Amino acid sequence: MESETPQPAEPQDIHRREFMWAMAGLGAATAAAFAGWGALEALVPPGTADEWHKSVCRFCGTGCTIRVGMREGEIVDIRGHEDGHNKGVICVKGSMLRALPKIEGRLTTPMIRRNGKLEPASWDEALDLIGRRFKEIRDTHGPDALAFYGSGQLFTEETYTANKLFKGGLRTNNVDGNPRLCMSSAAAGYVRVYGKDEPPGCYADIDHAELFFIFGANPYECHPPLWERVQRRRAANRNAFVICVDPRRSETAKRSDLHLPVIPGTDLLLLNAMAQVMVEDGLCDMKFMQRHVRFDRNGETVDFEAFRAFLRDYTPEKVEQQLGIGADLIRHVAHRFATSRASTSLWTMGVNQRTQGTALNTMLNALHLITGQFGRKGATPFSITGQPNACGGVRDTGSLSHLLPAGRTVTNPDHRREVEHKWGLPEGAISQTPGHDAVSLFRAMGDGRVKGALIMCTNPGQSMPAADRYAKAMQDCFTVVSEIVPDSETAKAASVLLPAALWCEKEGVLGQGERRYQLVPKLLDPPGEARSDLWMLVEIAKRLGLGDLIKARTPQEVWDEWRHFSADSYYNFEGMTYDRLRALPGLQWPCPDEDHPGTARRFVEGEDPFVSKGAGIEFYGRKDKRAVVYLCPYVPSPEQRSEVYPLYLTTGRVLEQWHTGTMTMRIPELRGAAGPARFTVSEVDAKRRGIEAGDMIEVSSAFGAVQGRAVIDREMRPGLVFAAFYDARLLVNRVVADHVDPVSKEPEFKLTAVQMRRLGN
Amino acid sequence: MEITDLTRMFAGAFSAVGLVLCLWLSRVEFGKIPRERKIHIGFATLSGLAFFKLLALAALFAIPATAVGVANYHTVEGVHDVDSCNRCHVMTPMVTDMRDPQSQSLAARHFKNGWIPKDQCYQCHSDYGLAGDMRAKMEGYRHLARYTTRTYTEPIMYRGVFHNDNCLKCHQGTPAFQAVPSHATVSERLAESSLSCTNCHGAAHPSRERRTPGHPDYSKLMGGAE
Repeated sequence: MESETPQPAEPQDIHRREFMWAMAGLGAATAAAFAGWGALEALVPPGTADEWHKSVCRFCGTGCTIRVGMREGEIVDIRGHEDGHNKGVICVKGSMLRALPKIEGRLTTPMIRRNGKLEPASWDEALDLIGRRFKEIRDTHGPDALAFYGSGQLFTEETYTANKLFKGGLRTNNVDGNPRLCMSSAAAGYVRVYGKDEPPGCYADIDHAELFFIFGANPYECHPPLWERVQRRRAANRNAFVICVDPRRSETAKRSDLHLPVIPGTDLLLLNAMAQVMVEDGLCDMKFMQRHVRFDRNGETVDFEAFRAFLRDYTPEKVEQQLGIGADLIRHVAHRFATSRASTSLWTMGVNQRTQGTALNTMLNALHLITGQFGRKGATPFSITGQPNACGGVRDTGSLSHLLPAGRTVTNPDHRREVEHKWGLPEGAISQTPGHDAVSLFRAMGDGRVKGALIMCTNPGQSMPAADRYAKAMQDCFTVVSEIVPDSETAKAASVLLPAALWCEKEGVLGQGERRYQLVPKLLDPPGEARSDLWMLVEIAKRLGLGDLIKARTPQEVWDEWRHFSADSYYNFEGMTYDRLRALPGLQWPCPDEDHPGTARRFVEGEDPFVSKGAGIEFYGRKDKRAVVYLCPYVPSPEQRSEVYPLYLTTGRVLEQWHTGTMTMRIPELRGAAGPARFTVSEVDAKRRGIEAGDMIEVSSAFGAVQGRAVIDREMRPGLVFAAFYDARLLVNRVVADHVDPVSKEPEFKLTAVQMRRLGN
Repeated sequence: MEITDLTRMFAGAFSAVGLVLCLWLSRVEFGKIPRERKIHIGFATLSGLAFFKLLALAALFAIPATAVGVANYHTVEGVHDVDSCNRCHVMTPMVTDMRDPQSQSLAARHFKNGWIPKDQCYQCHSDYGLAGDMRAKMEGYRHLARYTTRTYTEPIMYRGVFHNDNCLKCHQGTPAFQAVPSHATVSERLAESSLSCTNCHGAAHPSRERRTPGHPDYSKLMGGAE
């Protein structure tokens, strides 16, 4: 039995111990793995910013949705917002927005001109002076001796308030602004054609177009995200074809499939000749025209045969000599435009800034209407816009001298009555006389008809044509200027200078080129004593005794007032509350209620809430529900080359600079990339005058003269000189003619007859 | 034969040898190995005990260490092909979009125009490779841990910084790159990736919104699988 006594179970103990060790090892390995993960969660850097905010780019009218990265209360990164209409794409200017609030030399205190010199003052001193002088001027010389000159860069709430204060409160229609210089021809064109302003299409049409007709635009430099979108379309669809019409071989022209270098100022001949080919070669969509189009000659409705007869003067053979484009090529382009599966036209300042700007706009729309290139994805006429809020802020709020909000005009008694009712004004309060447009306003400031002006968020000292004349006009007047820096060309002429908050130092809505409204949230405090333009307007209103009229005093209060104002119009965006705009990367109007997704394509059934069921396409802006094609005769520009002025000067922008460079010339990366502005001249013209690259030259016209360095461009068309207008040291607008389009009153920046001579090295 | 296949075969063989050795050695009674037993390997002669000790060293340390090394090499270098990335289903929308002829994303344009002939994911995400920096490995490990434990939430937000080096290695110095003056003035920002190339040149992949379950495009981006 003893021999059977169980021995200590050593083997089992060893197995258990081994098992325990194995488990402990496994546990340790698992713990190490999790600890490593945990550590990495803490250690992996959090990217370039700690928090991101949805916002909108401050610069051009593309209106890119962006994400603003912040760390420790400062902007440290900017990215394109991938859910925005721009699908994450911005440009180098937008990328450098991070540097904008910190540009050197910000104006941080109000200043009053005393004994010819601007001296610091308190807000109360400045505002009291403005209130007192404006009252004196109004009481002595009448309300039309006062004026507001605003900007397509103010927030909508600010422009709406200024419009209400001047037209409703001070009772003058002298409310205009820099959109008059850039897109009033586009606005006039849309109103004449469709009865309502703003483009029918949207940027997403670029994703579907097979033909791009880029006419008087240079999106590669001026609207880079839109050009990038065109390039994406080309890379994705080999049938996509880009035609660029521009007298200059611009950066866009160089990258297009076909460049038509028309003789400056003659491009209406091309549009009429294309229409003539379309009509004669049976390329018109007769069904579309019969249902949706009527023809107009000087206010009289005519038929298609009259249109055909009118166009006989514009056959390709008749215009080719004057236009500088061969008849065969005109025919080819007309056929390509009409027969493409979807044609999108993109145009901007080359069309708008012309004495025939309105005619060019109406004809560009007409080409789409007669060929039925309309209302389908990728088939649309689209005027690109220059500033971030010229559309939403100025055109839609009716803040030009002939307009009232939401598509109304000051000359229409019903419109005046409606607005008086909405603003709580007595009948007859709003003047029936259109105010001064931009050029006319500055002339009136020069000759004493306008004695007091408030200029906000714009730099007319540099951006007006015949700039010398208008810089003096500002000095002759009591000019109040709201600015971000004390040394812009406009600030230099100010009687009172007010320090303005910019971009995300204040809150408000921007409305860009495709009827999209987006909110810019306030992320930073403005420097020093700088304040928002809305705050300034409210304070000025109080001092003018008009505080009761301007009851909405915060951005959201003003927005809600304007939102409800729009409800009974075809501009209806009542569904765009601040909450929705905070959450979404913008909405496109019409947007009548809070469940409405917005309208990408206007006048199209299923998208636009105002189109009747079963209509397909309905141009509801006019009583007969038809769009109008105008018979637009070509009228040569008043600026013609002569023996004295044998060249044409044209102006524009460069990729890295925006407008007058007030912001972008103070950002080192952008200033360095663009360099100082210079004249670009052709090899032939340079050789003829003994000019070599880098020489100082003088370019002069009947309006003024400017000196600058020359760049010789082998691809430049002989007879043409180009300069960008961003650099105050080469203030090219001194030379530019100030003839205006008779309808839109937009000046012809694109064409001035000049002479050029060499000054030295 | 591809180098990745060779690596796989090599790692597999190594692991198998290690396993067999471990099993065999576990049955060896080291105390009973006769002292006089000699083992000849080529010109070297070892005592039996020394031989088995060396064998044990190899089985317990050297072979596992080599196997781990080869496995890591395989992980960072052997998964260059697109299908490897596509094995994690959160990557499927990127791959589907890249191969979609209608897509206009940066990745799709590089793919369809043959700008990158093979290993398309890796060519633009090369910092995950062996030559990439430690930060990418740390992020990669974190992603792996999150993915395998399903502790991520959609939409997935990329926390790190995409390095511009991945773009610049092909584009910098080309005539098209040099022709843009601002490339020079922002070169430092590009080099340190504080300004992203994709700002101006577009999103590389479908937006987060589109590749999140519930979005109308999601099932298409998943190749119709969901």
